[in-house]
Amino acid sequence: MFKELDPILHSQLRLAVMSLLIGIKEAEFTFIKEKTNATAGNLSVQIQKLKDAGYIEVNKQFKDNYPLTTCSITKKGIEAFEKYVKALQGYLHTDTN
Amino acid sequence: MSNEKKLTEQESLQLITSMIQKAKASYHDKGISAILWGVTIAIASLLSYLQIELNFDFPFDPFLLIIVAIVFQIYISVKESKLNKVTKHEDAAINAVWLTYGISILGLVAYINIVPNVSAQLSKQEGWEFVKHYINNTKPDEILSPFVLSSYSLFILLYAFPTLVTGITKKFVPMIVGAILAYVFFIISCFTALKFDLLLGALAAIVCWLIPGIILRRKFLKLRNNNV
Repeated sequence: MFKELDPILHSQLRLAVMSLLIGIKEAEFTFIKEKTNATAGNLSVQIQKLKDAGYIEVNKQFKDNYPLTTCSITKKGIEAFEKYVKALQGYLHTDTN
Repeated sequence: MSNEKKLTEQESLQLITSMIQKAKASYHDKGISAILWGVTIAIASLLSYLQIELNFDFPFDPFLLIIVAIVFQIYISVKESKLNKVTKHEDAAINAVWLTYGISILGLVAYINIVPNVSAQLSKQEGWEFVKHYINNTKPDEILSPFVLSSYSLFILLYAFPTLVTGITKKFVPMIVGAILAYVFFIISCFTALKFDLLLGALAAIVCWLIPGIILRRKFLKLRNNNV
């Protein structure tokens, strides 16, 4: 029986954001935008969805009079990501058999 | 990148791998701090060695160069914190280790400057003094100001500590090798006179910070040029 893939994570941009954040403590919005090649508008929407799911934390502050948004993965996000990767491995393992 | 595209399982795994690699590759130590401290400590140690070897005094203590290096370090840290868009998990731990190291060095400097004078005062209160006695009575005994013996060995020992922590945490072999060599220099310095301890300290600064710093700098510049 296949485990169902988390629909929040099973989307190209949201998965890219989670994969970027999984190995680091926090990253600025501009960094995520640059690495994912996403538009600011699209990225903001997907980040909001991840935030609503409780997978990431978003901090908005000011640095040198400019707005600065940083994102970091939450414990719930790490658990969901690990579960997603395990489910993927399950699918791929079945494919190779 | 679109959020709408339906991913296959293979594509998902490839995306995860490539993003993790991108995150890893995005953060590079520029090597400036390591070069700064390697040069400062090596020059200060060598100038102090020359003072003893050539029997002359500079108008200032060569180790006061550290104050200049601290000012530069603050400027570099502020500038880099503005440019860094990513914070890694180990950053806070490594920064804490270097902060603790800095406090320990200051503590050791205070110890070396305070303890001998306090020891002399305490001994006087007890009614005795430190005396330099020449074997075979070739010269008359002299009143001796107490001092911490081979104190620079302790600095070499301290140089190795944060370097080894950083090297192991960041899996950066040149720093691990540098720290191990510094421990070897510390052992050697236990058996040598102060002026040679200063030379060993200069060598420790070169292997712990200057050489790893140059390697980091070259890597950073190579990557930056590749990205242009």
